[in-house]
Amino acid sequence: MSNFRIFAPLAIVMYIIVPFLFSGNDYLMGMIATALIIAGIALAWALLGNLGGMVSFGHAAFFGVGAYTSAVLTMDYNVPVFLAMIIAGFGASLASVFMMPALRLHGPYFALAILAYAHIFMILATEMTSITGGAAGLLSIPNLPVFMGFDFGTKLGGYIVILNIVSLALVVYHLIRRSTYGLALKAMHDSELATRIVGVPATQLKAIMLVVSAFITGCVGAFNAHFINFLDPEYAFSGEWTVIPIVAAIFGGYRTLSGPVLGALFIYLADQLVFKSLLPQGHQLILGALLGGMILLSPSGLLPIITNMFKRFSKKGDAQHVES
Amino acid sequence: MNKHIIKSLSAVALGLSLNLVSVPAFAENFLLGEHTPLSGKLARVGTGSHRGILSAVKVLNEKYNGQHSFEVKTIDDESSPAKAVSAVEKLVSQGVIAFTGGYSSGIIGPASEAAHKANRVYITFGGVAGPLSKRGHEGFFRINNTAGYGKAIIGLISDMGLKKVSILYSNKEATVKTAEFVEKGLTEGGVTIIKHEFDGHTKDFKSIINKVKLQDKSEAILMVGYETDYIGILRAAKLLKPKVKAMIGIWSLATGKMATEFPTLMENVYGTSMLPFPVAFTTSEQKVFHTAYTAEFDNEPSYLEQFGYVQTLLLGEAIIAAHSKGEVNLKTISEELRKTDQMTLAGRVRFDENGDNPEFVQRVGQHRTGKIEIVWPLSAKTSDKAFPGTPWN
Repeated sequence: MSNFRIFAPLAIVMYIIVPFLFSGNDYLMGMIATALIIAGIALAWALLGNLGGMVSFGHAAFFGVGAYTSAVLTMDYNVPVFLAMIIAGFGASLASVFMMPALRLHGPYFALAILAYAHIFMILATEMTSITGGAAGLLSIPNLPVFMGFDFGTKLGGYIVILNIVSLALVVYHLIRRSTYGLALKAMHDSELATRIVGVPATQLKAIMLVVSAFITGCVGAFNAHFINFLDPEYAFSGEWTVIPIVAAIFGGYRTLSGPVLGALFIYLADQLVFKSLLPQGHQLILGALLGGMILLSPSGLLPIITNMFKRFSKKGDAQHVES
Repeated sequence: MNKHIIKSLSAVALGLSLNLVSVPAFAENFLLGEHTPLSGKLARVGTGSHRGILSAVKVLNEKYNGQHSFEVKTIDDESSPAKAVSAVEKLVSQGVIAFTGGYSSGIIGPASEAAHKANRVYITFGGVAGPLSKRGHEGFFRINNTAGYGKAIIGLISDMGLKKVSILYSNKEATVKTAEFVEKGLTEGGVTIIKHEFDGHTKDFKSIINKVKLQDKSEAILMVGYETDYIGILRAAKLLKPKVKAMIGIWSLATGKMATEFPTLMENVYGTSMLPFPVAFTTSEQKVFHTAYTAEFDNEPSYLEQFGYVQTLLLGEAIIAAHSKGEVNLKTISEELRKTDQMTLAGRVRFDENGDNPEFVQRVGQHRTGKIEIVWPLSAKTSDKAFPGTPWN
């Protein structure tokens, strides 16, 4: 199934139908925006895992660094919010450079090393009280601004901003995948040794993927800081910013382009809007059971199931067309 | 016919003049919102606060029966700031007029920010971080603060006549500020203080306790943290048995749940508490609370329930006062709350221009064989303190 046939309806739903139906409901728009925050991290994580072949347990570090960079720039240096969010992406990329020694490691060793880095960044944020506010964190972080007459500080405005960040991340992911770099990365996935022998700079490519993934996560973290107007080290570097996106990516299908986005939207919205209403305490149990079932029944995730359904549907349609 | 009408009108007029006919002119149902951690790491304290809030709503409904009614809508924020914000937004969309609840400064900060944006009053006891009340939010109120806890601990330690105290404190905002406050107060009184900061994720406290035992050689250990920190510190101390005369903690320690779930670990340990456990309610206000609480729940309330109760009762009374003057909104409820100056289960409550209660001073309780006795101040004590005394000695 072509990417266009998946993205076109998804884009119509997200850019037209959702704002049209729910723009008056701040609560729902806030929920969807939060789901998109998770989607953005899930996408960045999947990019690193799928193209770079690295399983990261430390994306909370990029998220936190991005969030703090943007918050501090806007609060202490009066940098415009949107510009600060872009700089925050570079800040997170810079943080990823410090993690590069870990690229020499593979599999669980890399995962654990990057987890340790995330913890180091959290301690730094706690200890650098004069910049980050220490354990107390930062309150009243500036809202997203009014830009060209439109107030991005509203829930609808925030939704549009995070939707654009996720869409741009999808485009970047798609372009990398289609490029010669993407081909080399795919080959590395099968046999890193073989690709090194034919001259592919494997470590360099993995480093680029780490930087790109960190940039996306940093921008998402920066968005969240201006969306929720609050940060403290425990929240900004919380393991939840790593675990839930991983769950979302695997649930949606982390080897696909839009699987992580669909996964994040599904698990967050289903959990908060449906399961939580059914079971106010302990609703995570339903989500856990669903995730377990999904991994057993469709290890590739949700998107392949949807794709197969579409294929069957279109085959039936074609058959009926031929019969008639 | 005319005679009949005149007779009827006369009867109604007479009834009104004798106050026999009561017609509530603007009977209204006031919808309150509550976000609180009923799951996650703060579930224990959140549940306590929640039960206090429900008791207050029950008391308000009984008091204004036939005139007005109160209802509270609650959403579990799962101990997460983002979910607390969503909860506030959802509750606003459901028509709540004010918020009561919340626990932990890190959650109350963004949640009260969301309430502020929605022009709703937000009252709490769960966050004592200084910056919360410095944001210029007209509708933010809290009945307690760091200083009130600190003053109680300084008073207790001064009464004990200790000369050297080790303070073990978590690196969170509220705990750091409280540790600094207590250090300043005790140092001015001539007490030597040795501080040990620990990370909020610390599980094993043996190395810190060993330092206190072998290096500090203090007379008491003051713990400024949260439930899991206290349990970790007390377990390590019980194992290593430093020669201290007292183990003292602050909030979330002298609670009924700690007394019943960790009776041997808590023995002789001090913590802040407004009332003893099981509670000996003596005043009429205390009895009203206790009756309302035990009608719904089968355990004895601790300070968490009492504080949740007090803040909600104050909010409810402010809403009624605002309503009687014609309008219920952020401005009018805030104005009425600022007029508050009364003795409550949480001591005297009066709000300053920032919504803080400068009159707040905690009391100190001591765990004693599954009970909690109030041992400080003298005016409120229910028993003499078992001093020196630790869980292992």
